[in-house]
Amino acid sequence: MDIFSNLLIGLSVALTPVNLAFLFAGVMLGMVVGIIPGFGPAAGIAILLPITYGMNPTSAVIMLSAIYYGSMYGGTITSILLNTPGESSSVASTFDGYPLAQQGRAGPALVMQAVASFIGGTFGVILITLFTPLFSLVTRSFGPPEFFLLVMMGLMTLIAMIDGNWRYGVISALIGFALGTMGVDLETGQTRFTFGSAEMIGGIDFIPIAIGLFGLGELYYVFYQGMHLEGAGIVQYRKEKRFWPEWRDYVETRFTVVRASILGFFIGVIPGAGATIASLMSYSLEKSLSPTPEKFGKGAMAGLVGPEAANNAASSGAMVPLLSLGLPGSAATAVLLAAFLMWGLTPGPLLMTEKPEFAWGLIASMYLGNMALLALNIFAIPLFVLMIKLPYRILAPAVILICTIGTYSVNGSMLETWLMFAAGLVGFFMKLYGYSPAALVLALVLGPLAEQSLRQTLTISRGSFGIFLERPASIWIMGVTVVILVAGILLYRKRQ
Amino acid sequence: MTSNGSNGNFFMRGSVALSALLVAGTLASAPAVAQDKYPSRKLDWTIAFGPGGGNDIMTRTIISIMEKYKLYPDKIVPENRAGGSGAKGWGYVFSQKGNPYHITSTSGSFITTPLQANTPWTATTFTPIALLASDDGVIMVNGKSKIRTFKEFVDQAKAKPPAIGGIGTVNVEFIVPKLLSERAGFKFDYVAFNKQGELTTALLSGALDAAMSNPGEVLGLLQSGDLRAIAYTGKKTPKALGNLPTLAELGYDLGISMPRGLVMPPDVPKEAQDWWIAAMKKVVETPEWKEYIEKQLLTENVLYGEDFRAFLQKTQGTFADILKKSGAIK
Repeated sequence: MDIFSNLLIGLSVALTPVNLAFLFAGVMLGMVVGIIPGFGPAAGIAILLPITYGMNPTSAVIMLSAIYYGSMYGGTITSILLNTPGESSSVASTFDGYPLAQQGRAGPALVMQAVASFIGGTFGVILITLFTPLFSLVTRSFGPPEFFLLVMMGLMTLIAMIDGNWRYGVISALIGFALGTMGVDLETGQTRFTFGSAEMIGGIDFIPIAIGLFGLGELYYVFYQGMHLEGAGIVQYRKEKRFWPEWRDYVETRFTVVRASILGFFIGVIPGAGATIASLMSYSLEKSLSPTPEKFGKGAMAGLVGPEAANNAASSGAMVPLLSLGLPGSAATAVLLAAFLMWGLTPGPLLMTEKPEFAWGLIASMYLGNMALLALNIFAIPLFVLMIKLPYRILAPAVILICTIGTYSVNGSMLETWLMFAAGLVGFFMKLYGYSPAALVLALVLGPLAEQSLRQTLTISRGSFGIFLERPASIWIMGVTVVILVAGILLYRKRQ
Repeated sequence: MTSNGSNGNFFMRGSVALSALLVAGTLASAPAVAQDKYPSRKLDWTIAFGPGGGNDIMTRTIISIMEKYKLYPDKIVPENRAGGSGAKGWGYVFSQKGNPYHITSTSGSFITTPLQANTPWTATTFTPIALLASDDGVIMVNGKSKIRTFKEFVDQAKAKPPAIGGIGTVNVEFIVPKLLSERAGFKFDYVAFNKQGELTTALLSGALDAAMSNPGEVLGLLQSGDLRAIAYTGKKTPKALGNLPTLAELGYDLGISMPRGLVMPPDVPKEAQDWWIAAMKKVVETPEWKEYIEKQLLTENVLYGEDFRAFLQKTQGTFADILKKSGAIK
């Protein structure tokens, strides 16, 4: 079998001591990059790029890719323990991960996230191994019309995400949309709401907002409640709570992990979508399918497992367009693509056949890397759990410091650092009055994408909406959207 | 050091000066001795973008060549000062007015960022050293398209205005098709994208009729036949693209290129400017530099000093005209 022999070639490449060493270096670095809030995989890969100059490209790509998918594991740790997302792709993991930790279930939550990440990541690699040519067809059929429809599907999930007072939820989303309009208007090139500042040309970055809203917002709330005076830790972690997840945690989430892996992989395959959108969509999907949606946001295991499996599957999925077409689908894979060029490789459809040891060495190393990450996480969890026993008066300044350094280090921007603190205040008031920071971030991520892809579509069609009915792929997506809507309504009726 | 017959005279002078400088360099512990000789101190090199980008790779290539051939007597310290499409890094260099121990590399945003934002500098404010290469693009269509040549493309475009994609609007990828359409007499709709991945997929999916792009990032797809290049926008087509005609060869000499070069802060002494021009003349002759140009699919395009400033002036003027007409800038 062709695939089998390719995989054997790959394994023989990945299992050499040198490549194994680079793989482990990569997964360790990925964990660290993931844990530091603000500092993401794209920045981590970019910093290491110069040292790979002149290295064997296969060893280099094994290491740099491991940083990418490794950060998907690491990013969740602070989401669960400190309500502070390490990466944009682990924002959704704060929604239920942090409540779980507050209930003294930090250990099980961390183990479950590692297992879910492992399943999602490995599932993704299996799909890459077997079906890369097939999935590259999905990539090829995604023009602006299809992308717009996909984003609309993502925005529909706001319905599931907003709970409590829907008016407050809508206001939160509108704030997110409004923030998303800042920066250069892509179509006309005019600057919008940049206040004449060159630093604002690129618009508002998602990361400082997410760290502020969730991480600092939560800390401010703690200060408001005066918990730092009582000498208590973030979590009333009690010894009698079990470290390992209970059997029902696995049973309850067995379908979640499958759904999330499939969803995440598909989203990852589409350039421009990526792990962040995959994890947010997976969260909403699980919440709307759950028999107990009211538990979401209050420590539902499925609300953590879904986004985690999804973001890891998406990071595997993002390798499909990179390897099969030479197309970067996300910020991190764009840096990887730059690395391919730097090493003198020509990314494109011929790469996998002309350089099988490179492509398949990478794919094989991803199986090993995911296993290494699972083991690494499980061993490291007891260490991380110690962190939440620290009293607030020690922990809080440390968290603020790390968030500040992490945010500043990405672009060296004071503006973004102040933005993070401001977002913290907004997050605090949102929590106090019951607004929805989750709806805000979803709107901030998807709003600009919706605007751009719709305007691109209408420019291409010269203003006609008929274009959505002319392309087979877009008809498919509309069909799926209708099915989801109808199913959602029926499910809702049944429950009433 | 490389030997080059036609530049023999220059090189001899260069090596004498250089050995003097090397001596000065070894006496670094006594800076007073070297004070009047330029250069005699550590050099700060601002990269206005993050690691891994085109600007970063070029800078690090030049630095490694200068180190290998011992062209600079002291240390060169590259620093990435990224942010605001180059506004931050170049703004910093601008603030180093008169400092001969500061240098920076340019790229397309060097012209476009000051047009878009309220920066206290423009591309021509700085002390020009050299244009080393230019970043040019390919105009391409989907591999399944019936269009095989640029002429067919223009004929088709006159019959039905095509949708042409590119990255950004205040960018060469909009300016070139715009100028081209005016010269060739067709209309088109420009579709702006944020990232290369999205642009290429849109072309692959058949949503766009054509796109303009940096050749390096689509080379694989061109070689596999998924995309088809119909023209190259630079002066000379890179080897990897085979015998693709340039726009000039097709009768549309636009003279628009994104400058990859070096500038120093405003008002640096003439002595320093001359030193760097001389040093760059050596760098562009090295085999390492030739390899870099070929690997990155750049167009070799060398201009020194005031000629470089004139080039920047002209490009900046063309950009401003077109973008004002289209309403992108005021």
